[in-house]
Amino acid sequence: MNIIDVVRRANQPGQPEDSIRLRLACLAAVVVAIAACASLGEIAWTTASGAMVLIAGGTAFSHATRARPPGWVKVLVAVGATAACVWFFHTVSSPSGGITSVINPLTILLVAVLVVHSFHVPTRRDLLFTLGASAGLMAVGGALAIDLRFGLYVVAWACSTLWALTEMWTSASGGGRISASGLVLALVATSTAAAGVFLALPAPVVSSRVSFISRAGSGGSISVPGSLAGDSGTAAQLSRAGSTTSRIRVGGYLGFAGSLNTALRGSLGNALVMQVRAQRPSYWVGETFDTWQGESWTESASVPRRPLRESSPFLLPIPVGDVPFGQSDLQTFYVESQTANLVFHAESAGELWFPASKVYVAGDGTIVSPLGLGNGSVYTVDSQVTSPTPAQLRAADSPFALPADVQRREVQLPHPYPRAAALARSVTANDTTTYDKVQSLIRWIGAHTHYSENIPPLPAGADTVDEFLFGNRVGFCEQISTSLAVMLRSLGIPAREAVGYVPGSYNPITDLYQVHANDAHAWVQVWFPGYGWQNFDPTAVVPLSNPSPGSTALHDIGSALRRIPPVPVVVVLAATGLVVVVVRRRRSRPATWAERVARLTERAGRRAGRPRRPSETLGEYAARLDELAGPAAVTWSRLAASVEASAYGWHDPPPSTQRALIDEARRARVRPRTGADRAAPVGGPAPDASLVGAGVRPAGRGIDEGDEA
Amino acid sequence: MVASVLIVGLWWLIAHNAGSGWVQLLGDLVFGALLIGVVGPFVIVTRARISLDSAPGDGSAGLPVPLRVASRTRLRVRPVEPPGPDVFVGPGRRRAAADDVVTLVPTGRGVHRSVTLDIASAAPFALQWWTRRVRVPLPSALYVAPRCGEAQPVPRRPDDGTGDMVEQPRAAEGLPRGARPYEPGDARRLVHWRSTAHTGRLMVREVERPAAEPVTVTVELPADAHAAERVAEGALGSVVRLLQGGVPVLLATREPSGPVLGSVPDRRSAGRRLARAVAGTSAGTSAGTSAEGGDVASPPEGGVGP
Repeated sequence: MNIIDVVRRANQPGQPEDSIRLRLACLAAVVVAIAACASLGEIAWTTASGAMVLIAGGTAFSHATRARPPGWVKVLVAVGATAACVWFFHTVSSPSGGITSVINPLTILLVAVLVVHSFHVPTRRDLLFTLGASAGLMAVGGALAIDLRFGLYVVAWACSTLWALTEMWTSASGGGRISASGLVLALVATSTAAAGVFLALPAPVVSSRVSFISRAGSGGSISVPGSLAGDSGTAAQLSRAGSTTSRIRVGGYLGFAGSLNTALRGSLGNALVMQVRAQRPSYWVGETFDTWQGESWTESASVPRRPLRESSPFLLPIPVGDVPFGQSDLQTFYVESQTANLVFHAESAGELWFPASKVYVAGDGTIVSPLGLGNGSVYTVDSQVTSPTPAQLRAADSPFALPADVQRREVQLPHPYPRAAALARSVTANDTTTYDKVQSLIRWIGAHTHYSENIPPLPAGADTVDEFLFGNRVGFCEQISTSLAVMLRSLGIPAREAVGYVPGSYNPITDLYQVHANDAHAWVQVWFPGYGWQNFDPTAVVPLSNPSPGSTALHDIGSALRRIPPVPVVVVLAATGLVVVVVRRRRSRPATWAERVARLTERAGRRAGRPRRPSETLGEYAARLDELAGPAAVTWSRLAASVEASAYGWHDPPPSTQRALIDEARRARVRPRTGADRAAPVGGPAPDASLVGAGVRPAGRGIDEGDEA
Repeated sequence: MVASVLIVGLWWLIAHNAGSGWVQLLGDLVFGALLIGVVGPFVIVTRARISLDSAPGDGSAGLPVPLRVASRTRLRVRPVEPPGPDVFVGPGRRRAAADDVVTLVPTGRGVHRSVTLDIASAAPFALQWWTRRVRVPLPSALYVAPRCGEAQPVPRRPDDGTGDMVEQPRAAEGLPRGARPYEPGDARRLVHWRSTAHTGRLMVREVERPAAEPVTVTVELPADAHAAERVAEGALGSVVRLLQGGVPVLLATREPSGPVLGSVPDRRSAGRRLARAVAGTSAGTSAGTSAEGGDVASPPEGGVGP
């Protein structure tokens, strides 16, 4: 069979699909998918509504003409689909600045194809294509969804699709139905398979560079171009703690400004500041400080912020001291609430998709937005991340070196810090490499200091490092990291203070890191020849491995399970088990009087040590029991004869007789003959002769005592 | 298939550019549905059991033979040997027809002690059909008679001109022998009113057909199956014609156990004998059907007679 035959065979028209329910289910799936895209702003609601109406009409038309679809409809579908594809490729091939320039045309393309196709859906295969297209539409919607509300559409679409698929089976099997248990089983199996894949696969990775999203939000404007929004409250910083609702409104963190006062750290709250889709968790740095003044960090005046006037994407200059290579790390930041106008990013940002005509860039890599960043702002950064191993850092040796003036700045100290320097020397006495010295100092800080935000403000004029290292040794991240930076500088190692955000919690469903206000952080950057500035966090160990959705979900499930109170669970399980046992016992009850008598016969035989053999008929078995009881015993044979007459001869006795037979079988006992009772027949009381062979009734329609009652 | 590839490609494009967990979740759901849609029917078909509730003992080639089957799972059943049309059996919707009858349409004669069925399922999503071939024993052997072919003329025995004239009663009645009480099924015209009036019970005449010399039909089936089928059809046609004429028939065939010669009182037994017949000579004659006539009282519709 050649390829033409294969294609011809694949395109053979199928049987017309008659199931209206199947068409309605597919229509529901498509409508939900269009609504999902409309809710995300990918198409206008008016367009979506029109498309839904057209698709509903097309579905009705298709059903009406399913037996003989008009030829002009096929032409219409072909022309319409081709035109939509041409329009799509023409649109996306033009220069674009965001992923929406691909997603939105793709949404419109799929909706247009669905509208046109809905007028020619005569067969089941065409309906399957409709379902697949609705799945594609949902995926397009999911590409831009960043919260769990999209889950409502996913659930609705999954239900519609499940309905459609089961209706497809009903139609394909000539009216077969899936039982409730079968449906539940299919649902559970599908969900389990999906969950298994979801847990097994790593998080989705953005590895293509078609285009990335950037969108200006509700951040407002910045009064002085290139300045920081956090600086607007500088005068008041020392007198009050940070707050998300404060006048400077920068996530409550006071460090996103021209200086970082290490004496203060307010209560930041847990407001969601932004969500980040990134290939790996990182320290998302906002700015760095190189000048230490004993209480505050400031930016050196020799590192001015220069405007970078390009259209998005911006090609960013390599920060001073960084290396021009590394692993690409794409991060998209979805700003959720008012924050600093700093462009947060992983170290060494190389490219920036940003909704502005210019950005301000400093030599240390700090990027400042000319716009305020508020809810709805979206930007994407591509960083070149170097991830050296400890061995590489220990062996770091390169002809590259920091320029002399930069080197001078990065080891600057306001005064010699004799005690801190002596401490640093003693802690690192046995270390020969920079990396080992850093690690030794971090270990020492971890072993000898404690973290707390509830400490009184430092006295005026006091040195933060001296107070922290040689005072009560309790402080927060700014004091801890500053102490490390100062000790490193005292050893001649270039180090600086960095502020920004740590990743926060990871949502495996949305694949987003949720950054809250209290994820604002300060840490230390140490310069290594050949690898540039590397992050070290003496305050806390932040996991740097990429969390898989599976491990995260399992961790969340484990946490949720641990919170479940055991007593109600045990009670519910016990009640469920009891119900199951009762139901099973009720189901195993004999359905007819004949079965009941047969079981009583077997029970009596078992009690007498003579269970029924698989090959024995009831009559044979009863005869054996009578023989066991004595030569004249006929009780069991007579009962068995009644049962067999009912089962095979359709002679069912009246209900009163049935009840009497059951009573007799219940009372009768098989007593093996002994010397004393060999003379008399055993087997219970003498039966009523009228019971034998009375009545006409099939065994399957018999009743037991309960029914009669 | 093309549509599936396009959808998967589109999915890859979106997931690759968006990196959204929602896209992955939706893809996992689609994958789960596809997996269950493909694996589910395999499991169902592997575990499916089909049994025959009842089956007739006799059938005829080319005519439908209904088998009542039972299955706890909805299955598409296609009889393979003997062949037959597709049918769905098993639990269906309440309003759907309860159609648990598999129809065989045997193409030729033979004895079937089991039927070979292709059972298939695509439950629960109708995405993929899986088929399994099962052999189901019949409650009793199914004898498929050949089609009833054209009767061969019975060669006439030469008349020597001697002997008495035999009173030839009508084939359907015979000679009256007495009267007996009416039994359901007796022809109305056989009611003997006089004795009925005499006894007060409905009485019918009892007739007796004159003993006739049986006609022996010898069937020699050739080795070629197609030709053998034609011969068997002709033999059955001859036997049926003779039986309709009230002529006792002896059928000589070869069966797997050897040559068999025996009377066939009715079409059913003739069909069974011919269903069992195998190729080979049964009386040392050449292949074909031959009939040797005895004293036949009344030739039916000509062609067969003494």
